[in-house]
Amino acid sequence: MTDQTTIAPATEEAGTQTSGGQTSAQRTAARGGVEGAPLLEVSDLVKHFDIRGGLLGVSKLGAVRAVDGVSFTVKEGETLGLVGESGCGKTTLGKVILRLIPPTSGTVTFEGKPLFDLNARQLKAARRDIQVVFQDPYASLNPRMSVGEIVGEGLFVHGMSNKHERESAVRELLKRVGLNQQHIHRYPHEFSGGQRQRIGIARALALRPKFIVCDEPVSALDVSIQSQVLNLLSDLQDEFELTYLFIAHNLAVVRHLSSRVGVMYLGKLVELADADQLYQNPKHPYTKALLSAIPIPDPTVRRERIVLKGDLPSPANPPSGCRFHTRCPMAQEICKTDEPPLRDVGGGHMSACHFAEDVTPLQARRSA
Amino acid sequence: MADTTIDVRQAQFDDTEDIDRTEVRSYWQLARQRFVHHRLAVAGAITLVALIVLSLVVPAIAGDTLRVSASRSFAPPEIFNDEGDMTLAILGYSRTGYNIFGVLMAATGTSLMIGFAAVLIIVIIGVSVGSVAGFAGGWVDNVLMRVVDIALALPGLFIIIAFVAFWGASIWSIIIAIGITGWTLAARLVRAEFLSLREADYVQAARALGASPRRIIMRHMLPPAFAPIIVAASLGVADSVVLEAALSFLGFGISADQASLGTLLNVAFEYLNREPYLVLFPSIVLVLIVLAANFLGDGMRDALDPRQRVEER
Amino acid sequence: MTASARSGGPLLEIKGLKTHFFTQDGTVKAVDGVTFEIGHGQTLGVVGESGCGKSITSLSVMRLIERPGKIVAGEILLNGDDLLTASDEEVREIRGDQVSMIFQEPMTSLNPVFTCGEQISEAVQQHTSASSREGMDRAIEMLGVVGIPDAKRRAHEYPHQLSGGMRQRVMIAMALSTDPDLLIADEPTTALDVTIQAQILEVMRDLRQKNRMAIMLITHDLGVVAEMADEVVVMYSGKVVERGDVRTIFGNPHHPYTKGLLSSIPRLDERVERLEVIKGTVPSPYNLPTGCLFKRRCPYRMPICDVAPPYQVVGEEHASRCWLTPAGEAPDVGADASGEEAERAGELLTVEPR
Repeated sequence: MTDQTTIAPATEEAGTQTSGGQTSAQRTAARGGVEGAPLLEVSDLVKHFDIRGGLLGVSKLGAVRAVDGVSFTVKEGETLGLVGESGCGKTTLGKVILRLIPPTSGTVTFEGKPLFDLNARQLKAARRDIQVVFQDPYASLNPRMSVGEIVGEGLFVHGMSNKHERESAVRELLKRVGLNQQHIHRYPHEFSGGQRQRIGIARALALRPKFIVCDEPVSALDVSIQSQVLNLLSDLQDEFELTYLFIAHNLAVVRHLSSRVGVMYLGKLVELADADQLYQNPKHPYTKALLSAIPIPDPTVRRERIVLKGDLPSPANPPSGCRFHTRCPMAQEICKTDEPPLRDVGGGHMSACHFAEDVTPLQARRSA
Repeated sequence: MADTTIDVRQAQFDDTEDIDRTEVRSYWQLARQRFVHHRLAVAGAITLVALIVLSLVVPAIAGDTLRVSASRSFAPPEIFNDEGDMTLAILGYSRTGYNIFGVLMAATGTSLMIGFAAVLIIVIIGVSVGSVAGFAGGWVDNVLMRVVDIALALPGLFIIIAFVAFWGASIWSIIIAIGITGWTLAARLVRAEFLSLREADYVQAARALGASPRRIIMRHMLPPAFAPIIVAASLGVADSVVLEAALSFLGFGISADQASLGTLLNVAFEYLNREPYLVLFPSIVLVLIVLAANFLGDGMRDALDPRQRVEER
Repeated sequence: MTASARSGGPLLEIKGLKTHFFTQDGTVKAVDGVTFEIGHGQTLGVVGESGCGKSITSLSVMRLIERPGKIVAGEILLNGDDLLTASDEEVREIRGDQVSMIFQEPMTSLNPVFTCGEQISEAVQQHTSASSREGMDRAIEMLGVVGIPDAKRRAHEYPHQLSGGMRQRVMIAMALSTDPDLLIADEPTTALDVTIQAQILEVMRDLRQKNRMAIMLITHDLGVVAEMADEVVVMYSGKVVERGDVRTIFGNPHHPYTKGLLSSIPRLDERVERLEVIKGTVPSPYNLPTGCLFKRRCPYRMPICDVAPPYQVVGEEHASRCWLTPAGEAPDVGADASGEEAERAGELLTVEPR
């Protein structure tokens, strides 16, 4: 078992305050890791929630197809952003990967090991490598436990029974997330939302994971606190050699941290590309509409406005063919019947659209 | 090296001085503070404690005066008798010569004991059934809830009467009878709490850390589930005491030669014409117990599960 | 046309509003001396984070403040009439008729036991002499105006049958059914998905143009403000810290908080390696600093900031509550000035009514 008490920074890089102008690939290379080595592979993942009713509540009336066949790979050292609106399945996807919810079908492989085939003991060991940060800073900490107990729980569960060892490990972690380590005996209710979120991050780091699923980690925070936490996540990624799956609905936030971004709609991945590529040159009409819908904090910028008609269809009853066809400004006959596969439309840029090549970038110009 | 990074990082946040101003208070300490604020609840707690203490102390002191004796018939109230021994017969003596207050307190003790013991059985069965159903979900939950439904459908009162008739009119048979017919509410409360807690983020976080189901139940799910249980228990004591009183009054509970509030009422009812006040005292004690338990329950509920209400000055 | 519109005066004037909450743990000065105005047909964005007082300000305008809160000072002039001295009866007439409000959570703002049409119709009947049939007709008309397809059928549906975006449209329809002069929208799109938010904002833009309606748009989302507002008021800890025209606020912000806010949000169209940060956190209302409320977090802090800064003019139609000069330098009286000297200097500079 590795020594848990000294959480020394991984390389000299951690001594510097900023990550300079390096790309994620350069940072990973500097650490001696191999970017590009797949860490997590998701293959045809499906999660349906049955809707039950009838006498005794046994008959199956239908299913909410929360995640309906999603495949992607997360490479070591990168941050894969996952965006989408309500009902797209991104949060469910995160929970299935963490094995907090059982999958309906499909596989998830972590470092070559198929996660769903692990027995209880193996799963517990695997959990040290895959951790999570939740959205709600008020619900994610047990109000009856002190900060020290919360952050140290993982260490305790995985065998660090010596109280003093744990306490010094926890103090170190609190310092690393910018909290006063003298507050180790305090309780969550004394802390603000941003501070609680940092406690949650410290908890996730305690086991020195390799991979962290960040499920909307800043959505519930005030705007001026969001940047603090985002910078922290970025710094910690370097210090601890982390790989992130960053789930959010705020595209601007996702763009800031991610090297690659995937867009989900009604349980399917509709586009997956390099972050800059996706934002500057989207290849799916939904992505383009999403980008156009986000208000830019600059009154002088005038953008092409694409306002989608209609509401989000229910994931219990998704449209036939391409799920987006009911709201798509580019929909044709084929879109109603044939579901487009996620295909490479050039340079690793994946899109699930029959007419991906016809999608033009969003027009924008500055007025005086 | 690492320390300067951390200092810079902490300076960036620089937001924890406010916390130093307050004392460290755990969840339970806060709950106790909130409880103490609730004056009626505190009064209820004091009343119950006082009754328990009196029910233990007074009969011990009264000693012999608890028995009937023609020589003491209708003797006036006293604290000490003629020989100088303490009798605490502050309500005087009955027609048959027993220390009214002493017997009253002995009866209270019996009733309270039945109440607490029955509630203990209710809590044990209810928490076991409810936590298993709530935690496991699925078909286990379904099956257990159907068992609860069946238990509810059976007429509790008649089962208790039948039970007592079969096993004899002793204190223990009443305790067990009330216990095994009254656990359904507790089971539902615990199950509801567990079902909602299963989805709580901090429970998910514990699972993600690799905590065993046992640890999750004991550390993360049972403590919050106790809030509704404690409330149900305090109200349950009142219910059980009244139930026993009603049964014994009607003659279906414990036999009249043992003193409980119910049997006292049973006897007093017979002598209603000659000594009407005998009905009064057990009734007053019953009312006190029910009120005290209710206020206590209210206070517990507010202390353990407060709604964030801004209190006006 | 109202008297104030004819005379060219503002539609709504809030002067020195103070709304305090008297709690067991102390007095929370949720709104502490707020002054601004909204002109006819103008959209004012009120921006701030949690605890800044923006929602309480709007509830104060609608006189919806309940114990332990109380409006302790100030004037709220609607078309020249002071709402704070009006009787309850008068306020009820004004609410829903001249001033309408929509809230963040459409599900809890709509009554689940009445159909959407009935709720809109009720608002109409309350403020006009319309009959229930006429009210329903107007309701269906308004549902169409806000872009709900198949309005006649939808009017007979219950809130839970509609999606979040639809419900918010119903709220807007209800608010607009009486043709108000002012619409107060408190975080109207925060709970909605981004593509639905775009739809709702478009509806609001259409309607304000058609009805020449003023909007007080309360939000923490600077992007929404940039898209919708003509003028912007920035609030912090119960006070207005900056006010100006939308281009000025975004292009040339003066107050360090506004600057910090603008540079700390991640932008869709630009990518930076590291976000700027406003260090620290919003002060606890039970433990406010003396002098400038922002001083603990301000990168430009000077000793004079221990004295309350003046609300001074820093440009055309641009005011900021800060000691820094319009050029961003230390004040003339000196960065180290204190006590009476500083207070006097402040009084000379400030344009806010006391």
